Amino acid sequence: MLCTLPAREEAVGADPGDPTRVGWSAMTTDPAAESPQERAERFERDALPYLDQLYGAALRMTRNPQDAEDLVQEAFAKAFAAFHQFKPGTNLKAWLYRILTNTFINSYRKKQREPQQQMTDEVEDWQLARAETHTSSGLKSAEAEALERLPDSDVKDALQQLPEDFRMAVYLADVEGFAYKEIAEIMETPVGTVMSRLHRGRRMLRDLLSDYARDRGMAAAGARDKSGDGS
Amino acid sequence: MSCGQPHDKDCAEVLENLFLFLDREMGDASYAEIKHHLDECAPCLAKYNLEQVVKSLVARSCVEPAPPSLRERVLLEIRSVHVEITDTRTDPGFGR
Repeated sequence: MLCTLPAREEAVGADPGDPTRVGWSAMTTDPAAESPQERAERFERDALPYLDQLYGAALRMTRNPQDAEDLVQEAFAKAFAAFHQFKPGTNLKAWLYRILTNTFINSYRKKQREPQQQMTDEVEDWQLARAETHTSSGLKSAEAEALERLPDSDVKDALQQLPEDFRMAVYLADVEGFAYKEIAEIMETPVGTVMSRLHRGRRMLRDLLSDYARDRGMAAAGARDKSGDGS
Repeated sequence: MSCGQPHDKDCAEVLENLFLFLDREMGDASYAEIKHHLDECAPCLAKYNLEQVVKSLVARSCVEPAPPSLRERVLLEIRSVHVEITDTRTDPGFGR
């Protein structure tokens, strides 16, 4: 009951002279007082619009559509069951992402463990150093333009190759636009770790994308050579 | 690495904070300092542009709508749970 007061005051504060508005906001922001039907309607109205976004994240986590669907369904079921605990006025999107992440870790990560995911935070410094010297001299705006022309499938493919924790940090920051602090809460990790995962994840991603761009450039050049030879 | 020109803020310091700048995870004063540096330092700007491209590529490529069948499954679940709760509440004896 107490936890709902700030939200209610905030809503009331917007227009204290209008009693209908007070009644409405009190009804919709007090989980303790609402009926199951009202709660279900509120969940449908407030949480369900995030379905597409959560599905996109689930796809990046599970790397396959069927698992992603099951994961999202399970996460929404859990969110609905716990919706009375959600404090109205706080960040619903981050709350849903946290449930999705926890559900993934508890139900899915175990069954789809892959050798690549073992390396998570343990990328050797010499690998990073090599990656940095590899790109720091050669990348010009022409390379940025080449990256921009990459098809979505290449970008998704490159993301899939990142270790899971790096991939999720990059996804949450770049696709969802979460602040570092929010990502830290969703991934249940210190902000410093989020920054390190973002840093390493983006560096690996940039190198992978540069490789793709180079391969595609070479393929295009090769095709031109071939047609030139054939004529 | 550096353009060789003197700057108020060192190139190394700018590059170190590039992601914080990119993600707007810094105060207005620091943000303005780095922006000023990028305006006058082409090599740092090129690096920043590249990071910006990678960030926008990820955002562009990962938007995928959920299949309609998933929305139906989730809705069905919410509504069926609601029906169960309603059934419990209207159980004979309750409220009499």
